Amino acid sequence: MGILENKFEDNVVVAKLDKLIGWARSTSPWYFQFGLACCAIEMMSAAASRHDLERLGMMPRSSPRQADVMIVAGTVTMKMALRVKKLYEQMADPKYVIAMGSCATSGGPYWQHGYHVLKGVDIVVPVDVYVPGCPPRPEALIEGLLKLQEKILDERPLTRKMA
Amino acid sequence: MSSEQEKLIAELIEKGLAGDMDSINAIEDRVLRSKVKSGLAKAKRAAKNAAVAAAKESSPEESSAEIMPSDHPNQKFAFMIEEKFPDSLADTLNDTHIQIKPDQWFEIASWLKSEPSLYFDSLQCHTGIDLGENMLEARYNLHSMKHDHKIEIRIAVSRDNAHIPSIEQIWRIGDWFERETYDMFGIFFDGHRDHRRMLLPEDWEGYPLRKDYEVQETYHGIIIPKVKEGWE
Repeated sequence: MGILENKFEDNVVVAKLDKLIGWARSTSPWYFQFGLACCAIEMMSAAASRHDLERLGMMPRSSPRQADVMIVAGTVTMKMALRVKKLYEQMADPKYVIAMGSCATSGGPYWQHGYHVLKGVDIVVPVDVYVPGCPPRPEALIEGLLKLQEKILDERPLTRKMA
Repeated sequence: MSSEQEKLIAELIEKGLAGDMDSINAIEDRVLRSKVKSGLAKAKRAAKNAAVAAAKESSPEESSAEIMPSDHPNQKFAFMIEEKFPDSLADTLNDTHIQIKPDQWFEIASWLKSEPSLYFDSLQCHTGIDLGENMLEARYNLHSMKHDHKIEIRIAVSRDNAHIPSIEQIWRIGDWFERETYDMFGIFFDGHRDHRRMLLPEDWEGYPLRKDYEVQETYHGIIIPKVKEGWE
């Protein structure tokens, strides 16, 4: 750490603020608690004691205002699509979206003949991580969340982006 | 069963086929009576099947005279409805369902529920069907908890005038049933107190379970891909 090295006591960690914010965000991505179909059961299972998402700092929040990550778990119908969009808009920045399962990523089994199903939630909201499976195992969801953590860690919120 | 008894049963079935139901009903022994009745029903069915097969081969038009109901409960109920509400049946008596006209449906339904000998207190299922040829049909499965008998009511309407009286105030379960049928088939239930779509959004166009349904192209700016396109 260059000139700052050995200037402080042993239990003081020195880091760039940019990276620190990314680290803090990535280790507590509270997710928005709502499920749309069978994927929701796997999401609940991931949050329950066997898989225990809270050890990764993830806790379900029932309000979009308090959530950082929206896990779209299940089939998004046209009727729900408008509401998903509204909920996404209600979340405070920084916000992330995980499309969990085949339905949320591409329409899944309703790809061809489901007149009422949105063919992938990325049509209405930007998606960060896609988790394949029908439904994905909790391990797969956790893998997706870990990928999201990596993505958040790599962000530099204070660095000005080149236009 | 002794051969004597068998003989007696065969005799009584002969009588029943000839139209003499009184001698069967007069039998004291319940077991024997039911045996005779079931044998009679079997014989009638066989005769009917033979008649149908014969009709297929020869002339399609048989005499459509008013037939008395058989022992089948469905026919009995249909006959009772016809007696109480003349000119309400849209089809001849049969063993599977009762086809009625939509006009008097509300009165018939409330009578079916209140009449002590029928007492259909439970609407078990209600759904719609697109029959093609410009016809839609609503079906009601009724069951009586008290008497443990059931019937199926069918009401066919044309697409241009798809209106059926609502029975939502008679069987409260009919509320959501009828809303779903309206949602999927576009059958209007007159007199329904909350006549909205059940599953699809309020501003959805068309009725998806109709055979000629065309998916709308966009919904609030979201493009709905055509069914025929894709990877087929």
